[in-house]
Amino acid sequence: MVAKTLSFTRALIATNVKATLALRGAFVVQVVFMVLNNFTFFVFWWALMGHVTTLRGWRLGDIQMLFGIVAAAFGLAVTVAGGVRHLGRFIEDGDLDTLLTQPKSVLVHALGLRSQPSGFGDLISGLIFIAWSGQVAWRTAAIAAVVIVASALILVACGVVFFSLAFWLGRVETVATQLWELLVTFSLYPEPLFGGALRFVLFTVLPAGFVGYLPVRILHAPSFTNVTILLIVAIAYLSLAALIFDRGLRRYASGSRFTMFG
Amino acid sequence: MTAARISRYAAFSRISAKQARRERNELYGRMAFFVVILGVFSSLWRAVAEAGMPVAVVAADPRAVVWYLAATEWILLSAPPIHIEIQEAVRRGDVVYRLGHPVSYVVAEFASGLGLLAVRAPFLGLTAFLCAFAFTRWTPPLTALLIVVPFGFAASALITALYLGIGLLAFWLQDVAPVYWVWQKLMFVLGGLMLPLELYPAFVQRAAVFTPFPSLLAAPASFVLGTHLVTPGALAGRLVIWSVATAFGVSWIFRRAVSAVTINGG
Repeated sequence: MVAKTLSFTRALIATNVKATLALRGAFVVQVVFMVLNNFTFFVFWWALMGHVTTLRGWRLGDIQMLFGIVAAAFGLAVTVAGGVRHLGRFIEDGDLDTLLTQPKSVLVHALGLRSQPSGFGDLISGLIFIAWSGQVAWRTAAIAAVVIVASALILVACGVVFFSLAFWLGRVETVATQLWELLVTFSLYPEPLFGGALRFVLFTVLPAGFVGYLPVRILHAPSFTNVTILLIVAIAYLSLAALIFDRGLRRYASGSRFTMFG
Repeated sequence: MTAARISRYAAFSRISAKQARRERNELYGRMAFFVVILGVFSSLWRAVAEAGMPVAVVAADPRAVVWYLAATEWILLSAPPIHIEIQEAVRRGDVVYRLGHPVSYVVAEFASGLGLLAVRAPFLGLTAFLCAFAFTRWTPPLTALLIVVPFGFAASALITALYLGIGLLAFWLQDVAPVYWVWQKLMFVLGGLMLPLELYPAFVQRAAVFTPFPSLLAAPASFVLGTHLVTPGALAGRLVIWSVATAFGVSWIFRRAVSAVTINGG
């Protein structure tokens, strides 16, 4: 069952990437502009850290690494599971009808429907930022890959949970998008800026702590325990997302529409 | 004739304002986002002050920096992203039906944008005021706030017009998102959205002078800093110049787009 789902996921990703690369001009424009976008945004940090050496213990290199991990994870998430951003609309407009009739996981199929070419730009710039931070050696590159994948899985899982609210609340696209953007926004700022109750929120409801902060800690000081915690958390969030989507699917009302995907 | 024309476009503003008042989810979302962003930045600036950064370079009172951020974010978040609607209208082909109407498509879209702005700006302004006060327990002089409000509103209107220009690029690009990303991030940096321009390297400050961005964000918001870097008269002049330039630019893009558009089917 798991092997079949993985094989289907692999085929879905391959098809998506091929479809994305088919429009080569648009693909290149989106990738280049996204890389430019990320570097322009980071000018803020270069300017700010030019005036202070550390920010509650964080140096520019640490911020570059955090930014790199989150950008790469986000890029991976929207490239491989770009449908997550459209899940609310699929549910609201009854677009899941076509997927329900197919012998594959509805959630996996829906997530793999829309690959975002700009995600490659995020991924590329993320990797550049990580390399530039000078804090990841070749021998820890494999760990970096693992934390990026785990971080991407948590982002996708949260997206599934936020957008699945449409099963119960109807039109939630704006609110769900804002929640997902908040998660990304919090993930991009150094951990010591946040304390008290907010810190609890950032490791539970909006798990920016697991998307950005814990991966940075792991890359600073690789430890088997922290990697295991991150992987368990990623699996837990994914399981929760699948459970919520499954429960929601039972309430799903058909759009009675004839739609074609491909 | 002119009065009739104005009342026609005013109707577009009224309709979109009414829609915005009815569909409040996006507004609430923006308000929540605003609260979080200001919270993050007030925390960031506390950390920056702890780290020993000379905030006095940009503000008479360090707390004024949070008010500066509240003002720049208010201006930016109040402007409705109308380029998305325009892009979708071009992609779907709906724009063709609009071109035949006895009103200018560009002016009608801008009027609709102003209607949305008229609803968003007061709500977000109130959110900005309350949040900045909650985070600093201080308010800038009332005269400074009274200057920021009209200039901020005018700057938001100009940003809306610039979004309109970006949206029209969909006639050639189909997807204007990449242009918007870079334009937005340039506004973040060259407009001094998160960091007053004085704190950027000299070459960034020199580059910013040649763009409309400082007049849109940093200059209107700088009145709360109490540094008197720009006078209201000078800022008004700059906004007028950039408004005229934007109007010419947008109308040129639209003329080129309409002359190049190919209409298939019916």
